[in-house]
Amino acid sequence: MNIRLLIVCALLSSASLFVRAEDETTWTHRASQGAVVLTANPLGSESRTAFYGARGFPEATIRPYAQACGFSFGMQNGSANKLTTRLADWHAVSADGKHVALRLPEAWDMEWVKSGVSEAARIAFRWAQFQSENTFEPGDWIMGMATLEVPLSGTFRLVARYRDDKGNHEIVLDKLSCAKD
Amino acid sequence: MTALPAPMPAPALRLPDSDGKPVDLAGYRGKVVLVNFWATWCPPCRKEFPSLARVRKSFKSAEFEVLAVNVGEDPDMVFSFTGLTEFPVLFDRDSKAMGAWPVKGLPTTFLVDRQGRLALKAVGGREFDDPEIVASIKQLLNS
Repeated sequence: MNIRLLIVCALLSSASLFVRAEDETTWTHRASQGAVVLTANPLGSESRTAFYGARGFPEATIRPYAQACGFSFGMQNGSANKLTTRLADWHAVSADGKHVALRLPEAWDMEWVKSGVSEAARIAFRWAQFQSENTFEPGDWIMGMATLEVPLSGTFRLVARYRDDKGNHEIVLDKLSCAKD
Repeated sequence: MTALPAPMPAPALRLPDSDGKPVDLAGYRGKVVLVNFWATWCPPCRKEFPSLARVRKSFKSAEFEVLAVNVGEDPDMVFSFTGLTEFPVLFDRDSKAMGAWPVKGLPTTFLVDRQGRLALKAVGGREFDDPEIVASIKQLLNS
């Protein structure tokens, strides 16, 4: 097998966790507020280990991230208004009312700096995350991964807040659960 | 694509292409340029990529160009996805060039007007041969 073919195989397998999410019909969770749509897929440990391993992360280094309760999110602004999001304003709520924040990409990046992760791998990580702060113009849509600060057992809700010129709004994704693997 | 509130000068963009030859956005002054920041692992980027070639073909090379700026990847890996392209693919290996642009996620695309100003922006995937985007390019060419 030549090197180009190997590269193609690696790309196809490592990109699959995003590619699966590309088609709207394959999202496992979806909610909307007017014309603003939020979708999510739980991400397992193996797929994230493979994805980031292909981008230069040693397996032991990426393990805490890969084993964290993580999701791929997609958010689309189908409204006529500009809106903004702050990941710090999003949180999960368990069935018994426990609130759990999302861990910001910058917090993970501090771990990568401490571990001596290469610049190229950190860049790949940074741009694969749902950013801490986003601005969506009409028609914009953004995908990215994010993790909870601590895992929750069973199902939970994810409350995603955004702001537009009319004020603050919430989209609630119901019956989420952490991936099992 | 969304018009920027006030056109601002495009940040510098001088990067090597797939042959290692430096390409400078400033050299395209007088043309409308579509600058697309992308990566192969990003599904919306992959999906929209073929439409870059289609929109490129819709206009004369004397008046319009596409610059696809790959972020953080190896040219061999990128080539395995793009193959040969009819527009330059540039390599921002350390994402420093992108850091100077108002980019917060991939893909992000800008239309740079003939005067070298950022005129329109899109975050997330698009089909660049969509009539609305083609009309925006034509409008910039005629302004």
